[in-house]
Amino acid sequence: MRPHTKLALGAIVLAGAAAYLAYLGAATSWRYYVLVDECASSRTELVGQRLRVSGRVAAGSLALAADRSRATFRLCGQHAQVPVTCRGPIPDNLKEDMEVVVEGTLETSGTLRGDKLMTRCASKYEATASREAGTPRR
Amino acid sequence: MRILGEVALLAAFVAGGYAAFACLAAQLARRTHLVRSGVAAAGAACLGLTITLAVLAWALVVKDFQFEYVAQYTSRELPWHYSLSALWVGQAGSLLLWTWLAAMLSLVYLATSRDAGPRPLVAFGILWANVSFLMAILVFAADPMKTGLAARSEGLGLSPLLQHPSMLIHPPVVFLAYAAWTIPFAEAASALLLDRLDAGWTQAARPWALFSWMVLGTGLWLGADWAYQELGWGGYWGWDPVENGSLLPWLTGTALIHALMAWRHRGGLKKLAVWLAILTFGLCNFATFLTRSGIFSSVHAFSQSPIGWMFLGLMAVLLLGGSGLVYYRRQRLVPERPLVSVLARESVVLVSVYLLLLLAAVVLAGTLYTPLSPLFAGRMVQIGPAFYNNVFLPIGVLLLAATAVVPLLRWGAVPRGEQWKAMVVSLCVAGGAAGAAAALGLAHPAAIAVTGLAVLCVAATVAGVLLDVRRRSGAGTIPAILLALRTGRRQYGGYLVHLGIACVAIGIAGSSLGTRRLEVDLDEGESIEWAGRRIENVRLVQREEPDKLVAEVELLVAPARGRPALLKPARHYHLLQDQWTTEVAIHSTWGGDFYTILHAGLGDGRVALTLIENPLMRWIWLGGGLALAGAAVAALPLRRRRTRQGGRLGSHSRLAAVPARRRAA
Repeated sequence: MRPHTKLALGAIVLAGAAAYLAYLGAATSWRYYVLVDECASSRTELVGQRLRVSGRVAAGSLALAADRSRATFRLCGQHAQVPVTCRGPIPDNLKEDMEVVVEGTLETSGTLRGDKLMTRCASKYEATASREAGTPRR
Repeated sequence: MRILGEVALLAAFVAGGYAAFACLAAQLARRTHLVRSGVAAAGAACLGLTITLAVLAWALVVKDFQFEYVAQYTSRELPWHYSLSALWVGQAGSLLLWTWLAAMLSLVYLATSRDAGPRPLVAFGILWANVSFLMAILVFAADPMKTGLAARSEGLGLSPLLQHPSMLIHPPVVFLAYAAWTIPFAEAASALLLDRLDAGWTQAARPWALFSWMVLGTGLWLGADWAYQELGWGGYWGWDPVENGSLLPWLTGTALIHALMAWRHRGGLKKLAVWLAILTFGLCNFATFLTRSGIFSSVHAFSQSPIGWMFLGLMAVLLLGGSGLVYYRRQRLVPERPLVSVLARESVVLVSVYLLLLLAAVVLAGTLYTPLSPLFAGRMVQIGPAFYNNVFLPIGVLLLAATAVVPLLRWGAVPRGEQWKAMVVSLCVAGGAAGAAAALGLAHPAAIAVTGLAVLCVAATVAGVLLDVRRRSGAGTIPAILLALRTGRRQYGGYLVHLGIACVAIGIAGSSLGTRRLEVDLDEGESIEWAGRRIENVRLVQREEPDKLVAEVELLVAPARGRPALLKPARHYHLLQDQWTTEVAIHSTWGGDFYTILHAGLGDGRVALTLIENPLMRWIWLGGGLALAGAAVAALPLRRRRTRQGGRLGSHSRLAAVPARRRAA
């Protein structure tokens, strides 16, 4: 068998093995990515599923545990809200009225039980529009 | 000053566009009289861009809030060096820096090009077509000289997460890499356009490919270091889409360097080499699209901008046009010699190139899975790190194996008898090391395999260098040995890169497979035993600084063997940004890192902590350094040679492209 043929056969076997391993990895780590409104409207379908939900922390709803191991708040979309209880490392810059992504599982009560919380990037390519220009906060 | 910057940018845009047109028309349409004016216009455009960049940098340092960009990213209390670093934090500033770097590198390329033929000028024209594209975005969509609507007395400040030494240099290094990868692409494209597909373009492209690889590798290294030190989750790589974006051109760039080697030594992998040069530059634009388009929620990018889609469009044009050109020239890209054996060096290089492309394909598939998933899953789906890790682990082990044996292989033939003997000895040493690791308690098969292969890499490299030096030096005297080392510098630089990669593999295996984590609350004076260490909460200290409040816990960490260390993880409250940040404290040894995070003070000196043990972390940073040093050794130019045309080459030789009768006219 020519060297090219041996290498080609080996490449096909490797590519197949890699595709299978990638499929196994995806199967154990996938999650739906939804907005709050969809999470609320498709609740029965999404209960028990592993989700990532994107929304805004409702003003006046954020409560942090003293050791920052837990946060509870309401996550707002355009029309709906979803209550969230999040355990695990809470980002330092978590604030009300901020866009966040919560990863967790939706319970039958409609509460999103999260174990991972991602907040807005550190000013990359876009400054915070909500801050009043020229007025430092104290 | 702002008007000066605006005018300079517009002038640069016009001059740059003319430079691209003139240099391409001079060679492709045989309008050779345009060469001088084209090169001069490029010089003028560089001057204009330098003025614009200097104006913005000055405005940032002096905090001129008349500039909207300055007001968005700085504040009066921000130290000057972080103010200056804001140059590459925002959309417009980072694009301006990238454009300037691309322009400057084009002049360096032309000045250092050793080829007196038309190819460098066509490549120069292509480089300026790219610079003109970037300048068009600056002029029409991201003006760095824009003023704000209202007068401001204070800026919004720089996010505290970006106030870190690694962030001072990580972004400009990455932009330098993106700018540098344009050059191998321009060389390949010009070779295709002019049908000059001899080994000449590979000799010109090789040092630039190595330089770009080194710089991009440094950027990835700095980014991982920043994530490890600053983001405070104990890791250094999260398979974030934007991280993946920069990894893609690094993987294909690695494949390109090896394909160029195969072309040079055996006249093989020609189609792959030209296509990889085009693909790598295309992927730099793809990475920019990922960061600036806003299609991903990522720790790097939450912005939404049409600018990102422009880079995707450019990438599509490059890949379609480039693929078309490669197909058009396919008859000129057939291998000069057949593969003689699977045990020849070029076969192993081919396998490695395909493995690297396989890894790149997996990264690309994983990155694009999320935005494309609604098309086939009905709903957006995201996949986690297991998708990537499942593939990278076995393919990485195979790549490490290929890397390890290369010093004992030959181009165009099976290994010689002495090389076979050296291979057997190296395998025995590696097997012994793997066995010893298993006997000492290493349980994971991948960890044992990586240990064995890393030792194989070292043993085979030492054996390969000794055999090679003996063969080159003949006499065996010290001067002969030194001469052999010097003449084989490029090859040995490559071996050093491979040793660095082996160290990185050791570090990744150790930190990924052996990491441990503990969440604990400790009272003042309380201690615990964990991970072979005694950890004591000495005290919680709070103090006020001009721009922040600091809460810092002193932890005395005493290992079972070795000296105790005092670690001070802290939390900072930044007054202007009204934001907390976590400052981790790490005790690093060659055995591993002990990583501490302070989450909160709970009153009366009690603190909430996370403790992480990351075995062998330091080997990642060492391996990265070795790989970059090896690439630098391999990239250093050899002594200049005189060409067949005669005369020493330099930038004045660009005029050699103009026929004598036209010069006389």
